[in-house]
Amino acid sequence: MTAKIACIAVIGKADNPLHISLFPPYTDSTIEFNFLLNSCLDIFDIHQKQTAISQDLGLLHAVDERLAAYGWLTTTGVKFLVVVDLMGQQVPIGAEKSKGAGAAMSGLRDGNLKPAFHALQTAYIQLLQNPFYSPDDHLPLVKNAAVPTSTSQEITNKKFINEVKRIGESWAPGMVAV
Amino acid sequence: MSSTTKTARIGEELWKTRVDKVNAELVTLTYGTIVAQLCQDYDGDYTEVNKQLDKMGYNIGLRLIEDFLARSNVGRCANFRETADMVAKVGFKMFLNISPTVTNWTSDNNQFSLIFEENPLADFVELPDDGRSQDELWFSNILCGVLRGALEMVQMQIDAHFVSDILRGDDTTEMRVSLVRYIEDEMPPDEE
Repeated sequence: MTAKIACIAVIGKADNPLHISLFPPYTDSTIEFNFLLNSCLDIFDIHQKQTAISQDLGLLHAVDERLAAYGWLTTTGVKFLVVVDLMGQQVPIGAEKSKGAGAAMSGLRDGNLKPAFHALQTAYIQLLQNPFYSPDDHLPLVKNAAVPTSTSQEITNKKFINEVKRIGESWAPGMVAV
Repeated sequence: MSSTTKTARIGEELWKTRVDKVNAELVTLTYGTIVAQLCQDYDGDYTEVNKQLDKMGYNIGLRLIEDFLARSNVGRCANFRETADMVAKVGFKMFLNISPTVTNWTSDNNQFSLIFEENPLADFVELPDDGRSQDELWFSNILCGVLRGALEMVQMQIDAHFVSDILRGDDTTEMRVSLVRYIEDEMPPDEE
């Protein structure tokens, strides 16, 4: 039974979603994960108010027996969130009970996600270094702005999206680098 | 072939001893910003952006050649083939620490291609996804201008343009350089 990434989210400074990737079997659970991510942002807020936090916030929130959310906060306020499915997807539902969820939970340590976060950060840096990517376009609109522009605030860069996808699919506990 | 390796050695030597280095990311990001800003200023008219980049390069080339000659202390090239080698192995080496491959000569020795295996100007870059930039923008077009300007100062009128670019999805980045004529006994034209 191996843990697997269920969702990766990149959230901007103003809590605006920059990119959200869902992985099977959760690809259709957009709304559920939006709720979950939103609740995680509150935890980010709390952490941010405390002094001297490091980038790696570790486990933010153990949602239920399967899902756990981990966070990473850069100094510029960009947040990376990874929701891990501790059961993985291959395990048939019936087989879970014999093992017990507790074992899986304790099997994952904070450090396990570091490579994934590092890879995410690298991908984000790559994106920023592209001169044709303008971070300003991804700031949320001012509330009173006349008409919402048609351009979406989310990242549309294919290379970045594919890289996030790759990270989400290839990560496994105990990896040194993704 | 031995003259080629000799030229390459000159380039190596110069790079190691006579060149002040700057951070590569500084150069890449600065150039990237210039191009992106031009694209914005000209409202995505990539033909015009290419032209402006070429012009900027031309003005750089006019000045850079002096520096090149002073530092490298190389003499006059006997023929265009030698010039090509000098450009690739010493010129590009000295200023960008790359040595593009010289290839695809025409039989009259007046045209060649520079194949860029690496291009520090284009690191990190992805062309905008608007369906046109991939067909119209030559991101590194400034290099064409630099060559044109520099060689003009040493009595060679050339034409340089890119024919393929990895950024556009091509397999290689290739610049085609052709000698138009040797300029003899005339004042350089004052402006483009």
